[in-house]
Amino acid sequence: MRIEGSEDVEGAVPLSQQEEWADVTPLPQDDGENPVCPIAYTDEYRETMDYLRAVMARGEVSQRALALTTRAIETNPGHYTAWTYRKRLVEELAVDIGGELEWVSEISEMYPKNYQLWHHREALVERLLDPADALKMTEDERIAHPTIRRELQFLANAIDEESKNFHAWSYRQWLIAKYGLWGQELAFVDTMINQDVRNNSAWNQRYFVVLQGQDPATVTLDAGLVLREITYAVENIKSAPNNESPWSYVVGLLLRHAPAKLHTELMPRISALATAEDYHLAMTTTPFYWSALVDIYEQQAKEQPERRAELLGQARSACDSLAAEHDLIRGKYWRYRKTMLA
Amino acid sequence: MAPLFSFHFRYDDNMHETETSRKQVDVEDTIGRIYQRFVDPGTAAQGGVIDDSRYRLMRGKHEQFVRDALHGLSSEFAVLDASQPWLAFWCLNSLDMMGSEIGPQLRRRALDTVRRFQVASGGFAGGDRQLPHLAGSFAAVMALVLVGGREAYEAIDRMAMYSWLMKMKRADGSFEMHAGGEVDVRGIYCALVIASLLNIMTPELIAGSADFVARCQTCEGGIGPFPGVEAHGGYTVCGLAALEILGRTDVLDLGRLARWLSARQLAFEGGFNGRTNKLVDGCYAYWVGGAFTLLQKALGRSQRDGYLYERAALQRYVLACCQDSRMGGLRDKPGKSPDLYHTMYCLLGLSLSQHYTGVEPEEAIGDTTAIYSVPARMMQWGPLPAGAEIVGVQSNAIKPVHPVYSVPLVPLAKCVQYFYSLPPLVASLG
Repeated sequence: MRIEGSEDVEGAVPLSQQEEWADVTPLPQDDGENPVCPIAYTDEYRETMDYLRAVMARGEVSQRALALTTRAIETNPGHYTAWTYRKRLVEELAVDIGGELEWVSEISEMYPKNYQLWHHREALVERLLDPADALKMTEDERIAHPTIRRELQFLANAIDEESKNFHAWSYRQWLIAKYGLWGQELAFVDTMINQDVRNNSAWNQRYFVVLQGQDPATVTLDAGLVLREITYAVENIKSAPNNESPWSYVVGLLLRHAPAKLHTELMPRISALATAEDYHLAMTTTPFYWSALVDIYEQQAKEQPERRAELLGQARSACDSLAAEHDLIRGKYWRYRKTMLA
Repeated sequence: MAPLFSFHFRYDDNMHETETSRKQVDVEDTIGRIYQRFVDPGTAAQGGVIDDSRYRLMRGKHEQFVRDALHGLSSEFAVLDASQPWLAFWCLNSLDMMGSEIGPQLRRRALDTVRRFQVASGGFAGGDRQLPHLAGSFAAVMALVLVGGREAYEAIDRMAMYSWLMKMKRADGSFEMHAGGEVDVRGIYCALVIASLLNIMTPELIAGSADFVARCQTCEGGIGPFPGVEAHGGYTVCGLAALEILGRTDVLDLGRLARWLSARQLAFEGGFNGRTNKLVDGCYAYWVGGAFTLLQKALGRSQRDGYLYERAALQRYVLACCQDSRMGGLRDKPGKSPDLYHTMYCLLGLSLSQHYTGVEPEEAIGDTTAIYSVPARMMQWGPLPAGAEIVGVQSNAIKPVHPVYSVPLVPLAKCVQYFYSLPPLVASLG
């Protein structure tokens, strides 16, 4: 892989011997006399940083300064000060943003867990396509826009590489919300869930798409949409009942947005599965089924005061089976949960 | 004698393999072989009973691992060149927790190292001539707490720190990690820890922060870094600890939080994962274990009620699977290399699960969000007698730590005593 500015770091002529840098006095790292945890930097890294400190100190805006940040970041992508300086250089030197994005993509392949590169990427994309302008287009036009297409493709690759990459999913949310790309996202989420039904990042993204950027505390979800989500979760529960993600998703969503549907819609579906020959064993041995029953009965008891004692009794006995049989590691939690069902 | 060790707890993939289940099964295979070594051979007939007396904390090894790091790190550590205050904090905190002496020479070196990271305009940077950063400032302040003493406390420019924190503050209650940097719940946690320790909290500094954290709670129940993003153990303890400082844990749906946290303990491994359907990792012993400790007070539970997770199972995971017996130091899981980060966070989690560090409901200072109540509310956290549960030999016990500040209680109390003897910020500005 060839990265501009870095191709000759190994065995390169030291900066101190290069004519180009003759006017700069390197600024050595000053850690005092006897620091704790001193790092034995390689000569290349130390020299890069010595010159970087020097050009930063005098606020130099130049191609050679940009090349220094490249060298620094490729060795240490967590160097947020180098990133901050680079951001300014990219703006003031009118660096080609497409090329910069490609370079950032290469860094992210090498260091998928880094924080700074994603933040840098956001700023670049906003400069390429002003969100205010983008929102004047139709969603189809936005999706067809080269900048958006490139970002979606880049993210699809990053998530394909590491399907639960926390930073990639966070950045994806930023992109979707900033540029109003809600229409296409469910299909992507669906692909990811089909690939691995246990990918919880994808399930979380599903909730993000359902909300479409609305405040969960005040939004009212359309009844048809809620039913669609219940059906979707239950279909996926079928493929592997002992999978925490769809349970956590559907119970969490209903508790927040449509609690009555826990017993009117979710209950009949999972009961049918629990009594169906093909699913009976898997359903009744997974703790997630019993856990859902606790939430369902508790909610139903709130809505049907005349059956309150009976329903709470059923919720408590589900807690008992969890604590004693299906979820021993969480026995303490289930005994506590039971005390909340009085 | 511990409960029966059983393969009954292994993950059931319902004969439907995916990448997640394959990785889970692989980790269980490895860990199962390790746990077999702790089974009392005389109990094969009963299916194998774990002999807890075999669990040993290898203090000497870990101490050496940390002391070697204090002496110097190899060139690969250049990736932590912008996290230098963290190196000092990880080392000092690990030594202190294990009761390994931080002598006058090391104190002097650590103080001289860390104070250099302070920036004149406020805050601490990750290294020489870098920008001030909230995470670096948190680590630097905590390292100075562990160094202790007037000189260390006085090294911190409180006024400059306050004005810098206010520059990082955003209208929605969150904080940028550094000027122009990313925004997430870590920023609120770091800012509030620093401000509450240095006695520089003001209504302006904390405005909106509790609501921002509440918006980060997902429908699963845990807390993510930013509204909409998946719940994660690290951000959950940051958010919950920030709310504890603010006296506002009531803004969360605590029932859902308890459910989500309880789901983090893995039945077979005994340790915690950080997200739904992810793998066990020793560092969550603190990120999730600390949140469990804070949850106790939020729910008004007492020591007699006990924690909502299996303390012994977590300790067994840390002691059996996270110690590197060859190199010393602690790690994520078997097969991974030990590092300073995991060493400190595994030890923090071990401490919190060994001791019951809490506040009894009847003794808790009445719910108050007033800033003047902060030092008293924070210092009421302490280890409760008869609350200890130590797996293995008694000498495995390490020092109790504070679940919000993640350092041992004694140096923390001294620091709080010092800064709260100073005039509050507004008066000194006036």
